[in-house]
Amino acid sequence: MNPLNAACYADRAIWCRAPVVENLVIAESTFRVRIPCPELARRIIPGQFVMLRLAERSDPLLARPFALYDTYRDAGELAGIDVVYLVKGRFTTAMSRCGAGTEVEIWGPLGNGFSSRPVEHLIMVAGGIGQTPFLALGAEFLGRKRFGEPERERGTARRVTFCYGARRSSMLAGLDDFRNQGIDVRVATDDGSAGHHGFVTDLLRQLLEGEVSLAQARIACCGPEPMMAAVARIAKEAGVACELSLETPMACGIGVCFTCVARIRTDHAEGWDYKRTCVEGPVFDATQVLL
Amino acid sequence: MTDPIPLVPDLRIALGRIQLPNPILVASGTFGYAREMARLVRLDRLGGIIPKTITQQPRPGNRPWRTVETASGLLNSIGLDNDGIDAFIAHHLPYLVTLRAPIIVSIAGKSADEFVGMAERLGGCAGLTALELNVSCPNVSGGVDYGADSRQCFDVVSRVRARCGLPIIVKLTPNVTRIVDIAKSASDAGADAISLINTVLGMAIDWRHRRPLLGNVVGGLSGPAIKPIALRCVYQVSRAVRTPLIGIGGISTIDDVMEFLVAGASAIQIGTANYTDPTVSMRLLDQLPVALTEAGVPSAAELVGTLRVESSP
Repeated sequence: MNPLNAACYADRAIWCRAPVVENLVIAESTFRVRIPCPELARRIIPGQFVMLRLAERSDPLLARPFALYDTYRDAGELAGIDVVYLVKGRFTTAMSRCGAGTEVEIWGPLGNGFSSRPVEHLIMVAGGIGQTPFLALGAEFLGRKRFGEPERERGTARRVTFCYGARRSSMLAGLDDFRNQGIDVRVATDDGSAGHHGFVTDLLRQLLEGEVSLAQARIACCGPEPMMAAVARIAKEAGVACELSLETPMACGIGVCFTCVARIRTDHAEGWDYKRTCVEGPVFDATQVLL
Repeated sequence: MTDPIPLVPDLRIALGRIQLPNPILVASGTFGYAREMARLVRLDRLGGIIPKTITQQPRPGNRPWRTVETASGLLNSIGLDNDGIDAFIAHHLPYLVTLRAPIIVSIAGKSADEFVGMAERLGGCAGLTALELNVSCPNVSGGVDYGADSRQCFDVVSRVRARCGLPIIVKLTPNVTRIVDIAKSASDAGADAISLINTVLGMAIDWRHRRPLLGNVVGGLSGPAIKPIALRCVYQVSRAVRTPLIGIGGISTIDDVMEFLVAGASAIQIGTANYTDPTVSMRLLDQLPVALTEAGVPSAAELVGTLRVESSP
């Protein structure tokens, strides 16, 4: 079954409260928080997300959605998940001040995740903090890690390339994590302080020009909307399949509040309808999304 | 000699013709169509489920952003995004009526005729416990008028009452000068219960870009920030009408639940707290018997309206 655009209610989700194991700076304004939640860690797949909230507080009030960055083991057993976040608003500012032992409430796994259809070349394209779902995805496709319980049909790729754009070199997070999984990392920065001086879409264009068989490649993309729109356009022109993971604001994460809607093509008279990103996404085929 | 207090307090509640197993319900618009919550909540434990408000015609809803967090609160302007009554009856109702929890369908009409038409159709559907008339959605033109005008409120409630056999709950807005007047007209028109309050009209602004944060500019505030307003409304209305009340507004802890019961609500609805903790209703159901025992009452019903207010000397 193609998981894309099918309502994925939280039918595998669990809710738990857990003390943060660690909350580390890994790049400028970028943290990695480690949360013990073994049951959730066993179930989650790349591209799915969790809702995370600071316990016993009414300000910030709501939980926020975060993609799975990675799962971690303790004494050989799956023990929990890592979430990488950029300090930007009230929640992430409060989160960044939390030390080990801080109680958080977490529920997930939520959403559909990226498709696992095998492909020759998986091209992951990220802008800024949109990079977080791709470590797990790349590791899975290269056969380094497995996800899901029962284990999902594992996606495979002969090559996995990661095109990663950031404002400046100090904001590039987790490069070694990606390289350690055997992922080919290509970097672009707005100020030229690392890698290509320019947009990440330039890297994608170069990559596609040198591609032998475009029909055997697939793009997975996450980042700011203008960047995703550009990637979707490039993919369409080149005839490459492309999946976008949308980052819409959410209040509940489980499909009950109707906050996180995006315009998705349908057979409605208008040609589109608002769809909930949390249960019908966050991953959509790029041709379905009106950006 | 007084009767001994039973070990397990009786949680059952009667709201006019409506019988509920316990006073903890989940509010419209905060629980989807229940399916979404099935993995996280034991739905058959709930005192009642009120699915997201339905309208006669499908509505795409308002443009994003649809919610904004404010200090201990949530501002929303979803715009009654729903697929209309036909899709509800075809796709959601068959599931809802299997849940063994009381199902109360929330409807919003653009006219009294629409309210009546929808109520008539739902009155013919098996397995429903009641209707909740959403005469108070602040995000839809038309809707709020019925909750802001005593005469129109009386008209729509009495007409629905005459044409639909289901018990009627009327959900009121706090965005009026005197909520007691509206409650009285709902009561006089034959409402079985009155739920209050819907959200409080509010706004959020990004001054740097000189723009409102909500796509619809203004929206309704909910969450802990509005609890004092809701308590005040329940208190005032409970002193003025005999119709049973359902308290809503910022309820997230067992203390909140108990405060609303004491203030005069026979039952409560959990709203925004379903977002901040989807399992909150289960926790409150676990805690309610303990709190009632601490209050020294043998049943939830006997706590209702027990607020003691000293008259000024």
